Amino acid sequence: MTPFVVKDCALLTRMSGLPPAINLRELRERIAVCVENVLFHHFCETTLRGTFDNPDYRNDFAVWAKLYLGDRVLAERLGILDPYEYSSLGELRAATLEVIDERLGESTTIPWARPGDEIYFMEATTVVFDTGIRISHPGEFAAAIGAMTGGSVYYHFLEARRRSPFGKDDFTAWLLENDEGGKNRPYIEALARIDFYFHTLPHLRRELIKVLSALEDTK
Amino acid sequence: MNVPLSAYEGIVGPAVLRELRQLGEKLAGTRVVHVNSTREGGGVAEILEWMTPIMKELGLNASWEVINGTPRFFDITKAIHNGLQGAHVEIPVKGWKTYEDVNARNFKRLRPILEAADIVFIHDPQPADLLRLCTRRKGKWIWRAHIDISRPFRPVWKVLRSLVEPYDASIFSMAQFAQPLPHPQFLVPPSIDPLSEKNRDLPSVEIEAVQSEYGLDPSRPLLVQISRFDRFKDPVGVVAAYHMVRKVAKVQLVLAGGGATDDPEGKAVLEDVMEAAGNDPDIHVLLLPPDSHKTVNALQRMATIILQKSTREGFGLTVTEGMWKGKPVIGGDVGGIRLQVVNHHTGFLVNTPEGAAHRIRYLLHHQEGIDRMGTTAREFVRENFLLTRHLREYLTLMLVTLHSNRGNLVEV
Repeated sequence: MTPFVVKDCALLTRMSGLPPAINLRELRERIAVCVENVLFHHFCETTLRGTFDNPDYRNDFAVWAKLYLGDRVLAERLGILDPYEYSSLGELRAATLEVIDERLGESTTIPWARPGDEIYFMEATTVVFDTGIRISHPGEFAAAIGAMTGGSVYYHFLEARRRSPFGKDDFTAWLLENDEGGKNRPYIEALARIDFYFHTLPHLRRELIKVLSALEDTK
Repeated sequence: MNVPLSAYEGIVGPAVLRELRQLGEKLAGTRVVHVNSTREGGGVAEILEWMTPIMKELGLNASWEVINGTPRFFDITKAIHNGLQGAHVEIPVKGWKTYEDVNARNFKRLRPILEAADIVFIHDPQPADLLRLCTRRKGKWIWRAHIDISRPFRPVWKVLRSLVEPYDASIFSMAQFAQPLPHPQFLVPPSIDPLSEKNRDLPSVEIEAVQSEYGLDPSRPLLVQISRFDRFKDPVGVVAAYHMVRKVAKVQLVLAGGGATDDPEGKAVLEDVMEAAGNDPDIHVLLLPPDSHKTVNALQRMATIILQKSTREGFGLTVTEGMWKGKPVIGGDVGGIRLQVVNHHTGFLVNTPEGAAHRIRYLLHHQEGIDRMGTTAREFVRENFLLTRHLREYLTLMLVTLHSNRGNLVEV
């Protein structure tokens, strides 16, 4: 069995080069032309930023719609978009534009933010490095996750889904690769049941530890 | 005072330090030079004072160089600084010549170290001209803007932009502070040092000493705003909010800050504050010397609620400091305060003295809210605004820059 290689990552945010948007039409224009890395940042990398126990929405567009456009209907519709449900960022972009177009069609005026409340478009580079830590048995996962940085949890459980095998977290991919005689099935199924997108990173870590520890306790 | 990295383990945990050490290993031996214009005083010097020794501890060949200038040079760079922040200043051609001459003199002295460096961080506008002079540079040069240049006075920015465009990258504290430039613009918010004199834990005897020095009553709620006497910090609005609260609760108010004596505008603001405060013995207006770190620390720890009712703000590190002391913050809905204060989680954002008074009264009636928000605020700072996060982003930035990779994933 090849051991699981624990990696860590650090995110470096930079300006995308797109001008900020001050109204819903400009938001639509920027989302239509931005590179996919920008979409990924505002939908997925928000998890790595500081947040609170019960954030209203998990993507920046929904938060901006609520706080600065004052459009709660739009915020709710954008807020429920789960980027990991789509098979590509292109599909996510199309779904986001569809929500915005629908709202523009319903509105008699274009929602505007005040000057100073524009939304800025960013992207990030993820720097990945080997921690030197190895996991050789599924039973070690819970303890190892407890000692990981938030960067490791993010890299292996969330960021992994945009890498090959697409849509799979690294823990599941490793368990599948090393699933002799189906003995890893309980772990794979437990991980698949986590509604991960709406968790903050600290919650996600607690949830991972909980479900994986529960499997050990039942042995 | 050089504090080893291990001293932070009890605050941020071993995983964070392990991460920094691993990033440091990837950069071992890298020659890094920081250049700014002062060894003491101001936020930049405070950052470099801890960052340089910790980078060395991590195995980087780091050094901190300071350019020497004449009083005339610093008058010019002060005007450049104000111009970048939007003031309409006039800098004559000979003023820019002085700027260039001082940079050229410093370049002669710093030439060997700048030419040999793998990475050079130039902090703020004062030494920005060094890149133009260093024609035989072999490393990457990064311009670090610590100030808000979102709405610069265009004639000043036009000249400075021509100097910073050739850099390999620049760093801003927030997206809102940046200007379009033809190279990557990274975003690295500032941080606080939890072990500095301003933020370290204080024994109760030291807090009590400050309490009795200023005649504060420990049995009654205390509102504290720490900031310069500047209109944008709205100290008069804070006094107005206090008056609205005072009708129903016997609170005390401390407005403490420095920098008013040598600043005509600050002096006028201070006079306005004194007039608004009248003879109320429960309003304490304290003009503190710049090195009053322990006093500020004690006042923040004594506070029931921290106020930062700015109408315009940069990042707002006084908010970060207050949150680190486990206090809810009632802050103006502007600038970097928005990144830190989230309604009902770490405090409240307000737009008027009435809004501030309302939230103060709300909190005074909800002690459990004060405790909960204070705890959340401290943890939020631990996760996001301590120097360990700041350092991690600098190390990451160096790795990305040295790999010359603009992709979205870099394996090192």
